[in-house]
Amino acid sequence: MKYELVAGFETHVELATNTKIFCSCTTQFGGEPNTHCCPVCIGLPGTLPRLNKRVVEYAIRAGLATNCEIAEISKMDRKNYCYPDLPKAYQISQFDMPLCNHGYIELSNGRRIRILRIHIEEDAGKLVHSRGSTLVDYNRGGVPLIEIVSEPDIRSVEEAKEYVEKLQLIMRYIGVSDCKMQEGSMRCDVNISVRPEGSEKLGTRTEIKNMNSISFIAKAMEYEYNRQVDLIESGEKVIQETLRYDDVTNTTSGMRGKEDANDYRYFRDPDLVTINVPRERVEEIRASLPELPFAKQERYVNELGIPEKDAALLVKYRRVAEYFERAIEGVKTPKTASNFIIGQIFRTVENEAEKEAFEIKASAESLNELIKLIDSGKIRMNLAKSTLDKMLETGKRPTELLSESDMAGLDEGALNELCEKAVAANPNAVADFKNGKEKAVKAIVGFVMKNSRGKADAVAAEERIKAIISAQ
Amino acid sequence: MKIAILSKLFVADDEIEQLTEDMSRIISFADTINSASEEGTDFDNINSLSNVLREDEVVPSYDRERILANAKDSDEGCFLVKNIMK
Amino acid sequence: MSESMINKLHTMLKSKEISCTELTRCYLDAAQRENGELNAYVTLTPETALGAAAAVDKKIASGEEIAMLEGIPMTLKDNISTENIRTTCCSKILEDYVPIYDATVWSTLKAQNAVLLGKTNMDEFAMGSSCETSCFGGARNPHNTAHVAGGSSGGVASAVGGNIAVYGLGSDTGGSIRQPASFCGIVGLKPTYGAVSRYGLIAYASSLDQIGPITTSVEDTAIVFDAISGYDCMDSTSQGRRGAPVCDTLKNDIRGMKIGIAREYLDGVRDDVREAVLKAAEVYEALGAEIVYFDLPALKYALPVYYILACAEASSNLGRYDGIRYGYKAESYTDVNDMIKKTRSTGFGDEVKKRILLGTYVLSSGYYDAYYKKAQNLRGTIVKAFRNAFEVCDVILAPTVPMTAFENGHAVSDPVETYLTDICTVPVNIAGLPGVSVPCGYNAKGMPIGMQLIGNSFCEAKILNAAWQYENAANIYRAADKGVRL
Repeated sequence: MKYELVAGFETHVELATNTKIFCSCTTQFGGEPNTHCCPVCIGLPGTLPRLNKRVVEYAIRAGLATNCEIAEISKMDRKNYCYPDLPKAYQISQFDMPLCNHGYIELSNGRRIRILRIHIEEDAGKLVHSRGSTLVDYNRGGVPLIEIVSEPDIRSVEEAKEYVEKLQLIMRYIGVSDCKMQEGSMRCDVNISVRPEGSEKLGTRTEIKNMNSISFIAKAMEYEYNRQVDLIESGEKVIQETLRYDDVTNTTSGMRGKEDANDYRYFRDPDLVTINVPRERVEEIRASLPELPFAKQERYVNELGIPEKDAALLVKYRRVAEYFERAIEGVKTPKTASNFIIGQIFRTVENEAEKEAFEIKASAESLNELIKLIDSGKIRMNLAKSTLDKMLETGKRPTELLSESDMAGLDEGALNELCEKAVAANPNAVADFKNGKEKAVKAIVGFVMKNSRGKADAVAAEERIKAIISAQ
Repeated sequence: MKIAILSKLFVADDEIEQLTEDMSRIISFADTINSASEEGTDFDNINSLSNVLREDEVVPSYDRERILANAKDSDEGCFLVKNIMK
Repeated sequence: MSESMINKLHTMLKSKEISCTELTRCYLDAAQRENGELNAYVTLTPETALGAAAAVDKKIASGEEIAMLEGIPMTLKDNISTENIRTTCCSKILEDYVPIYDATVWSTLKAQNAVLLGKTNMDEFAMGSSCETSCFGGARNPHNTAHVAGGSSGGVASAVGGNIAVYGLGSDTGGSIRQPASFCGIVGLKPTYGAVSRYGLIAYASSLDQIGPITTSVEDTAIVFDAISGYDCMDSTSQGRRGAPVCDTLKNDIRGMKIGIAREYLDGVRDDVREAVLKAAEVYEALGAEIVYFDLPALKYALPVYYILACAEASSNLGRYDGIRYGYKAESYTDVNDMIKKTRSTGFGDEVKKRILLGTYVLSSGYYDAYYKKAQNLRGTIVKAFRNAFEVCDVILAPTVPMTAFENGHAVSDPVETYLTDICTVPVNIAGLPGVSVPCGYNAKGMPIGMQLIGNSFCEAKILNAAWQYENAANIYRAADKGVRL
């Protein structure tokens, strides 16, 4: 029997605000332990939370970018559980009135992964177990999070990967999070069950907690899928439990059963007031959203004639797409810019992080200038390529790197003159060509190119040379 | 006793009886609210405030010494719980 | 004739009749001498007090104006956070906790050079009506030390009633300012929810807690309320005072004011208390006010609603005491979880543990709807009932407590009966309204009786106006009549 994978995601995304959700401490990553703390975020008796305005705004942005409805009235609740990383013994979160509801993300195969809700909450601190003791650092305690809860609509590991990638891309585009999984600013809990293909009934699910890499998510899901199928086929039952993925052994295992029953005793936080989101504000935020990556990609393909694959590469990083768009302003051949970026320029940015930051010496305006020189026939591709290399190295503009004569182009008379000179200067090649060695003409073209310092059109030169020789 | 576990409290055997009795007295007293015939009024919050929000501006954090000042044990700039203390 | 002690001392300081340092020493000496009997203070802060006094003397010497509360010796209940001054909530679990920040009320008063004599006794985490759940033992009633001062702000009431502080700030969650004020024959105001910042008040039940003054006269209460009320951005539920300072209208005529009496408030109240309150109504009639009788049937749910909501919030608010960041920490344990449980089991007293357990119970799955949610709905009903009541009257007159101060160690063993002593005070907290307790007589044993004036939200000016007029007209022996301590 074939089994279908059914998965849903709970994704925690740390918001890129300056300050924590309920106090004015910095959210900066790193820092010595407990140096980004104040009486509020270590839960000193008598302190009270103050909600960060930007957290609400970012959550609404995230909701709108994932096609959610934005609640008119929302509130904060306390989720009570006692653990040393939670200084108040409750997490301020949202229970029954989240800010965003009922959205979706569309995958490339056309399937929609529904989003049940997005709510705001505070992150916990960090526990480090060392030498038989537990060390507690509250620097991350109180950093704002959104939790994006999907419906169990994912049917394959590929879909899961695409879902997470898309989510990551969207959040980065709208500027609410850097979604650095390795730094923990994006983490996923994955709910997985299997069922016989064609069945409508959901199987018993397990939850793999705290995944912080897309490749681990894929591996863990594959492992868990096989484990569940094996269990069912051998007549056993899947137990509903929370699992941890071990990336060294590539297996999942049950988390140490907590003594405590899970009963979060949610109730409204009396220290915080109602959140009202006026419809005008929602529309303002909607209007301020940038074009999302998938819309961009479509536009690049349909309107700019960029190949699908290249368009996908361009939109993968927000800064790259912005660079591209500035570089093609007023140019005739956007594809040239795309080729330059994906080829020559990408070769100078090594890794994901550098592509993300996309801090290169050649400005988009310089590239724009270069492409316009090509468009107008003032320089040839070869010269453009070597110029771009220099631009990437020095940060200079093309006009600073190219001389007047470089950009003068080559009129027909000058080309003719050069070609005649070339034929005269290469008697051996001419003889070889006459003896039927077609390739010999290339050497003569090379002479023209060299002496025109790349400005000559190689195809036109070759035609001209052939004409001169045959006229001899 | 699930409630004691959730409350993170130990209840000694000799306390259980008295406590259970007190609790059931209080709970049956609390039950009087369920005799309320009136339809409850939806209650939102004791104040009618909304959107009390703070600007996202950083204020310097406290010195770590002060943050840790009241901790019984600390080490490496962190609050410390030794795992086994007998 | 009532007299403002604050006013009187302020005049004396200004006219250099006495220096602030002399005044402060006088109170410190008295506190040291008499605290053994009263057990009002749990921490004395002579250095802080004399430091502030020196600053005030310097100002006076240089001819600078001083504010009304400058240099006046006062006290704070020990659940109000004071930087570098131990703040214990009278619980073993916080016995050595020294805050690193000030509560807003204290930073406000400190900026006016208030002279803090020390921190005062209270029921552990403000849970109790006799001050006897304090880990330092109960505070005594200055009228008769064989009796309790009341609770939970028993220490403040004992200190102010015993004249070892001019005024004090307490907190009131279900009557914790008004009840001890009533027991000790002084004035105590529970302001409208949101009128005074809660930032730095160690929470018992966040939606019910309010800080307020305990003083020997209505005028002093008005002066202190004007000083501490105000919007505070550190407390999202804060709104501040509405309208002019209450002192401006304190002595206004009350002819035509409608004073309401809800029959339910007089049910089950001891005869001597009922008589005293009804006598006060006669005083009001003589002052030209109109007495209006009405029914407030929703009151019968007030007590269970209060205990469900207060304990639910408390169970969450008190979760943070785990021994890791501050306070008591168990000495031997097997792992983190065991440490937390041992810390809490040893650190909290029985009453606190009982309320945490009850609060956890009413919020737990399966019981939430029957208790917490239902209580929340009934809270709405009570809010509405009061709103309707204020359509027919300006101010409600009621007893503060159904009885007078009981004898030490006489706390009733039945928990429900103990809770019943709060029956007249909790409705005000449930509805978020202001209420002031004013002395209105003595019983046969000479123990003070208090009456309560309840106003609509943010109508402190109205109830204090009514309270001042009564105090002025009725000839009640008051602690303040002992005069200022010199």
